[in-house]
Amino acid sequence: MKAFFEKIKENEFYKLWFKDALPYVTGAVLLSVFQIVTFATTGNPWGVSGVFAEWGAWIFELFGGSVDKWYYFSSPGAQATLNAGILNHAPTWRNLGIIAGALFAAMMASGFKIKKIKSYKQVVAAVLGGLLMGYGARIAFGCNIGALYSGIASLSLSGWVFAAFMFVGAIIGSKLLVKYFM
Amino acid sequence: MSKEVVLDCLGEACPIPLVKSEKAIEKMAVGDVLVVQVDHSCAMKNVPEWARKQGYEVEVEEVDDGEWEIIIEKTK
Amino acid sequence: MTEGVERKSSRASAGGAKRKKKNQLPIAVVIFVVIAGIGVWLGFRGENLLLYWLLGLAFGFVLQRSRFCFTASMRDPYLTKSTSITRAVLIAFALTSIGFTAIKYGYFANGLAIPGQSFVATISIATAVGAIMFGIGMVIAGGCASGTLMRVGEGFWMQVISLFFFIVGSLWGAHDFGWWKRTFMLKGFEVFLPDYLGWLGGLGANLLIIAVIYVIAHKWEKKHSNELSH
Repeated sequence: MKAFFEKIKENEFYKLWFKDALPYVTGAVLLSVFQIVTFATTGNPWGVSGVFAEWGAWIFELFGGSVDKWYYFSSPGAQATLNAGILNHAPTWRNLGIIAGALFAAMMASGFKIKKIKSYKQVVAAVLGGLLMGYGARIAFGCNIGALYSGIASLSLSGWVFAAFMFVGAIIGSKLLVKYFM
Repeated sequence: MSKEVVLDCLGEACPIPLVKSEKAIEKMAVGDVLVVQVDHSCAMKNVPEWARKQGYEVEVEEVDDGEWEIIIEKTK
Repeated sequence: MTEGVERKSSRASAGGAKRKKKNQLPIAVVIFVVIAGIGVWLGFRGENLLLYWLLGLAFGFVLQRSRFCFTASMRDPYLTKSTSITRAVLIAFALTSIGFTAIKYGYFANGLAIPGQSFVATISIATAVGAIMFGIGMVIAGGCASGTLMRVGEGFWMQVISLFFFIVGSLWGAHDFGWWKRTFMLKGFEVFLPDYLGWLGGLGANLLIIAVIYVIAHKWEKKHSNELSH
């Protein structure tokens, strides 16, 4: 059994499909294929960060909070989604799928490793970065996927506006990173 | 006499391994070797890419599952 | 390079003695079985859930395999002067917009409502503020939304923290959303390019912007690599 797995590791197609990193352009083509599949089958382009607001609402409700009065969740559609629960929430499964897909890919390449937190700086960066991304994505109608990628691909000017200002943010972020988080 | 500098970037996410490598190699003399230890699969791609673009000799070695050493020789 | 090789081999033998690589393929097989099991379970709960699960797996697999990173596409042109990911992202934008436009046009030509128009978002000050916040956040956290999920799958504990606070921030943003809506979004506007330029014109304009940025990105990288190499 062990010899069998060792033999697979030497196989050229294994290396091509599972081991060696694919070129970025190949990634671009494959993502485009699955974006188009997503739009054709679900009626909406791919989005990631909207789900996080719903996860937040479910966690908040778990601790006895209520978001029913919030404008963001006030529409009948949003209420129905929240009431149906997380297990019946299809976009949740897509986000979990991203984690599982990446985990599988890393294991298949024999390249998985638990990366522990190295310093308190990393914690501060993760907390601040996470909060900024979460808040920013909500008021800008999405993240790099929903607002940027799917926005631009939907021929919406909003995608380009998001791109321009996010680039400004990335420059500020880079300066902060080099100065405080390295 | 050329020397070898080891840069521990284990547990660091992008772009820190690359920025640290840039800084480290700047201080080194031609002929010196920089060994960057990474466990971030993206750094395993972008650090060698950067170094090759600079015209340095690069080798990537998988030292453990999910751990790589990027060996860069400052050739100029 | 001979010298480098020598060093390498001497180091490798020293390192190889104390560390023995384990083959993770058997674990990958177990994970595959679990993934398939969840898929079957979801399939019984609803076809839609299975579809989304499969799409997520595909996205996660592709992102990890190609080290695709939207954060790097925005950060590297400034920080490291590299634009290879930026150009790949632009290629994705171009290909996907062709596909999306075809789907949208198909509905339109058949007299049906155009799908996915909620992604044609309102442009207002909130877009600018949110995008800048997002840009800062993703660079210091080392990954955007999809990148964070991908890196959680790769075993990054730091990204688990940023994912948790991404959720907290999202809830915070949702809490304040009403204020942003009243103050800025209601004064905002939406632009769906085909409304102004026609279907072909809209797609053409989109591709033209992409092409122009691609050329700029290419020249930018070339300019900086020339500076460094002499």
